[in-house]
Parts: sequence; C-alpha cells; structure tokens
Amino acid sequence: MKKYFLGFLLLLSGYAVINGQAQSDPLLSKCLMSTGPTAKYLKDFRIQLGQAASTDALRYKANMSLWKNTRYRFTLCTDENSMGKLILNIWDNSNNIVLSSVDRKTGTIFNYVDLICNKSGVYQIYFDFTEGQAGSGVSIVSMIQ
Amino acid sequence: MKGRVIISVLAISLAVLSCRNNSAKPEGFVLADMDSLTASANPGVDAMEEIYRNFSSPLEIANLFQVSGVPFSPAYLASSLNANEKTTSFQKALYLGILGADLGYLNMYEKTGTSIELLSSVKKIADGLNVGQFFDFETIKRISLNKSNLDSLLFLSVDSYSRMDEYLRKNNRSQLSAIMIVGVWIEAQYFATQVMKQYPGNLLRERIGEQKYFLEDLVRIVNPYCDTDKEFTTVCSYLRDIASKYENVKISYSKGEPSSSVKDGILVMTQTETSMVEMTDQQLAEIIEMTGIVRNKLIAN
Repeated sequence: MKKYFLGFLLLLSGYAVINGQAQSDPLLSKCLMSTGPTAKYLKDFRIQLGQAASTDALRYKANMSLWKNTRYRFTLCTDENSMGKLILNIWDNSNNIVLSSVDRKTGTIFNYVDLICNKSGVYQIYFDFTEGQAGSGVSIVSMIQ
Repeated sequence: MKGRVIISVLAISLAVLSCRNNSAKPEGFVLADMDSLTASANPGVDAMEEIYRNFSSPLEIANLFQVSGVPFSPAYLASSLNANEKTTSFQKALYLGILGADLGYLNMYEKTGTSIELLSSVKKIADGLNVGQFFDFETIKRISLNKSNLDSLLFLSVDSYSRMDEYLRKNNRSQLSAIMIVGVWIEAQYFATQVMKQYPGNLLRERIGEQKYFLEDLVRIVNPYCDTDKEFTTVCSYLRDIASKYENVKISYSKGEPSSSVKDGILVMTQTETSMVEMTDQQLAEIIEMTGIVRNKLIAN
C-alpha cells in the first residue's frame, strides 16, 4: 500500500513539473523583459514553423489594427534551437509594405522595429524565419510612450 | 487485486488532473444557461479571431490619455459590478468585458494596489462562466500588490482574457465571447468619450472618430445572435443606436512614402501616409451622449 502511495506521489510531482513547464514559456518571459523601459505590453505572437518548401512569401500571417499617433515596438525573439532567425514584414490594406525587419541593402536583421503609425487601419503582420528555415520565436508588440 | 484497484484509482486521478486547464477538453465543464444558443448562429471561429485581433484595446485608449497628460480618475470605472445567482451568463460575459477594460485602465495608470477588489469580481464572474481556470488570479494579485512589474501584469491580464475568450470561442460559446468583446469595447469607448468631455483634444477626438471602423466589426460579430435572445436583441439595438451617430463620420487618407532611421540598434519607421477623421462637433457630442446612455443602461441591468 505504502509502495503504491509513494508511486502516486512520484507520478503527481512529475505531472506538476511538466504542467508547470508548459504554462511558463521561458522565451516569452525573456522576450517580455527585453522590450525596453518605456515599452508597455500590448499583445504577443508565438510563431513555430517547420522548414518551408519555398521562400516566396512569409508564412505566419495575422491581422492587427494599428492606430494613428501611436509608436509601436515589435520585439523579435528567436529560440536558440531555431535554424533561422525570426523576421517580420508589415503590409497595409492597400498591399503596400510598411516595414520590414530585414534591411535588404545591408542584410541587417533587426530584433527591434518601431513603427510611428500615422494611419489607423488593419495591417497584415507576417512572420517567418530567415530563408524559410524551421524555428520558433516570439514577437511582443508594445506601445512606446 | 487491491493493488490493481489502487492503480486504477491513481490513473483516473491523474487523468482528471491532466484535464485541468486543457482548453481542448471541454467535457469537464458544465455549460451555463445562455450557452444553449444554436451553433448555427456562430459566425465562425476564424472570423471571430480576426475581429478579436483587430480590436483597439483599452490599453491603447489609456495610453492615449497618458500621452495627452490626462490624469487618472476612478469616476469612469464601473467597479461596483458583481455577479449573483440571478445574473445570467449574458450579463456575466458583459460584466467580464467591462471589468476587463477597467482593469486595463487601472493597470496602465499603475493603480494596481486598488485593483484587488476588481480582480476578485473578475475571478468570481469568470468562475461563474466556467472560465475561471484561465484567469491567473493569484499571480495577478501578487504582482498588483507588489507593484513589481507592470509589463508582466499587463501581459498576464491580457493573456488571461485572451485565453478565456479563446476557450469560449472554441467550445461553441462564441456568443459569450462576442458579448464580452462588446463589454470591453463599450467601456473603453465610455472612457474615451468621458475624458473627451473633460479634456478635449485632437488625439482623442480622432480616436473616437476612428472607432467607426471597429463598431462596424462589432455589429458584424453580434449580428448573428440579435434575434436569438432578448438580451442580445437589446444590446444589438444599443450598438445600432451608437452606429447611427457615426453614420456621417468620414475617414480619408493621404499618400506618402515611409521614412526610416536606426537608433541604438532599433529600426524606426515613420509613416507619412496619414488617415484623417472628418467629424463635426455636433456628431461628436451625439456620439458622447449616446455612448454614455448605452453604457449606463448596460451596467444598470
């Protein structure tokens, strides 16, 4: 009887550890801490993608309203086990690119991109990993005062 | 034999525990009265997700107040809302939304120590809708009392609401998700219009005018339920009353190329393309008045 009870306790503690790990996302916590002292959290995107068949377009898409007279910060955090680095493009509803976290001229990939928004509307937010590689990452959207 | 029985009991106990907080397994929850609306009225999980993501949160409205130098005022809050045994699921979802906006406003102004009573109400109402397991009351309360990390507090509050909303939508209770979003929006709109009366300014005036966008989406969210329930019929007519005041508000755009710079490793993009709101003082006054009437009726029920 004692043996079974001990076994149950072991199973239960194992469950608690696993469950606790699932609920806390270390990358999300780390990313949240790195947005900057004047940044206020607004929302987050959690991106997990496999290897892409082609690199024609960024694969993770979300719509988001961005409002005039607001400075938004997109903080991009890539999990260290990812093959590629998390990148971001934002398009407006007229299909014009508003920003990219990749500077095509220099090849620089930015982990922080601020958008000083002057046109309220729905924007398409696209994420992927460089060269369509597999990876997981988090992007935090904050407001900067 | 005795051992096998014990093992079986332990296995069942673990299975029950593993279902806790698992949004993919709704079997453990008892659905409330309003939940009997037909699934055919559901506008679709994807559509709701899109609309939910598109909505200007009360945090953004409160941020605008702060940018404009507007001081905190407890007078705008509906903090006396509480649920009892007579409160319907519709009312609980509505109150959850309204209190969520109040919580966002308090958090943005870092009035976190005073938000404990409100947090308790949110928890009680969430429990009443069987979504209390997604509201991390103890952690939010601890951070609120410690005033330790505003960003973590904002994240946990928003994340809790997102998870409650997601759970409702994915478990054929989209009508409650819809009414919760109505509650959040009406309260944020109430803040904006009340502040506008006391501290008129162009930034806020434009933001109120721009709500025309979201109001159209909001009407689209609730529209499938308008004829299914008396409470929904009423809220639909309220939203149409506000929308009618926006009818002649115009939003126009001017073109421009974005400019960029790099500062301290941060890429900064500035849009030169702009949106402009055309709204007369009379239209604004009517929107403010109608918003106040609707919001006060909703919290008086």
